[in-house]
Amino acid sequence: MKFAGILLIIMAAAFFPGIILRVKSIAGGRKGPGIFQPLKDIRVLLMKGSVFSNTTSILFQIAPSIALASVAIAILLVPVANQDALFAFEGDFVFFAYLLALGKFFTIIAALDTGSAFEGMGANREALYSMLIEPAFFILLATFAMFTGYTSFSDIMTHFHITDNHYVMIFSILGFYVLVQIAMVENSRVPVDDPKTHLELTMIHEVIILDNSGFDKALIHIGTFLKFSTYGALISSYLVPAGWNIGAQVALFIGIQVFFASIIGYLESFRARNKMVKNSQYILTVSAIAIIAFVIVLILTNKL
Amino acid sequence: MLSFLTILFALTLIYLSITERFRSFSKLIAIQGFLLFGIAFLELTEVNTANLVFIVTETVVFKAIVVPMILYRIINRIRIYKVHSKALPGFYSLLFTIMGLFLSIVLANALMDKFIDTVYLTIALFTLFTGLLIIVTHKLLFSHMIGFLVIENAVFMFSLAAGKEMPMLINIGILLDIFASVLILGIFINKIGSQHRDLMADTLTSLKH
Repeated sequence: MKFAGILLIIMAAAFFPGIILRVKSIAGGRKGPGIFQPLKDIRVLLMKGSVFSNTTSILFQIAPSIALASVAIAILLVPVANQDALFAFEGDFVFFAYLLALGKFFTIIAALDTGSAFEGMGANREALYSMLIEPAFFILLATFAMFTGYTSFSDIMTHFHITDNHYVMIFSILGFYVLVQIAMVENSRVPVDDPKTHLELTMIHEVIILDNSGFDKALIHIGTFLKFSTYGALISSYLVPAGWNIGAQVALFIGIQVFFASIIGYLESFRARNKMVKNSQYILTVSAIAIIAFVIVLILTNKL
Repeated sequence: MLSFLTILFALTLIYLSITERFRSFSKLIAIQGFLLFGIAFLELTEVNTANLVFIVTETVVFKAIVVPMILYRIINRIRIYKVHSKALPGFYSLLFTIMGLFLSIVLANALMDKFIDTVYLTIALFTLFTGLLIIVTHKLLFSHMIGFLVIENAVFMFSLAAGKEMPMLINIGILLDIFASVLILGIFINKIGSQHRDLMADTLTSLKH
């Protein structure tokens, strides 16, 4: 079942960008590309070779592989449908966060390696936003840990709903909001970033992968898709009570992934991206809301 | 339900610290009024019916309807819709607000007493810090007025924290304060406002010359 969970995440990742594209097409009144278009693009990219600039070093060449590898390892720590993750140990959520951070670090350092002013600017922004969203993730997970008394993803998700306290519902709403926002920021989507922007000056994530091509670019895109479905899996494990039967868990996992992708599609169709100067404030607000969730748990555990 | 309202109240404070539009300020003051109405209605079960009716009516009528309406009228009259560009940027304001929240938690725990409701005390202190922050970091008189109203709400929360003691007396005091503050703002806008169109707090220093 543990391996089946990983397969489920990979399958969800394969369809995730396609669903976003379809929702955006429908919301925009366009026929648009099919649900498999992102997979076809990945296939084309995988068949191409990579071109490297003379100014880049080995760092630039290994960065996409490390970025994908870090996400792939992070998936092994995520419980799917409230079943134990393949690897689970005390404090694994810290390991999870820093695995993703390692991938991001290499992406950023590869961007700096190109010597391009645009990529340097993008790397700067990406690092700042990652730094600002990190407290939100840790506060939320620390709150979960304090609430359940466990520090492993698998244990936290299994024990989260085993309480009759009405605060759980409030905490769930805030937690869901914070997790969705973290996923949006980590994957560079609207309102913080816009993957469809064509002007380098307004780019964040897109500008730091401008020099990547072919096979390497495919690896970066696959990593992004996987990250989306990983956050979707976390949201699903946290929303669905562990006691439900496995069939319902899997069905809800798929439903939540589709719903999550649809939310992103609708948000990107109807919402403008933030002004660049407002992004820091926006991301910090997510951390502030996570702190409110933390206060709720302090009340809940009679520590306040 | 009570906890849900209290948490919503805390969330409005975070929004207050980052918003830049005066209409949003007014809306948030109205929302806080309704939330305080709900909290007072659910919490003050031990006071007699006449007192309860007075408190909840006063809260909903003044805090949630009349004061926000007056604020809207003021905005339409002065035609200034956003905070001054020299006001502290939202990012830093939010940082200070978060620090205020932590400080409130620490202080409330330090003051922990069997007669004090720690949750209300935390939120009351947090509200007080937010109100003070709005006053200190903004330049326009209108923002100062909002900060003042937020502090009034903090006082109301303090009364709930202190074992629901004398909420009616406190409310009458608040009512008087609100009346005085709206009156003072009215004087600024109708009399002094004709000389100082932008209603900057700094320009008040020139009045003494």
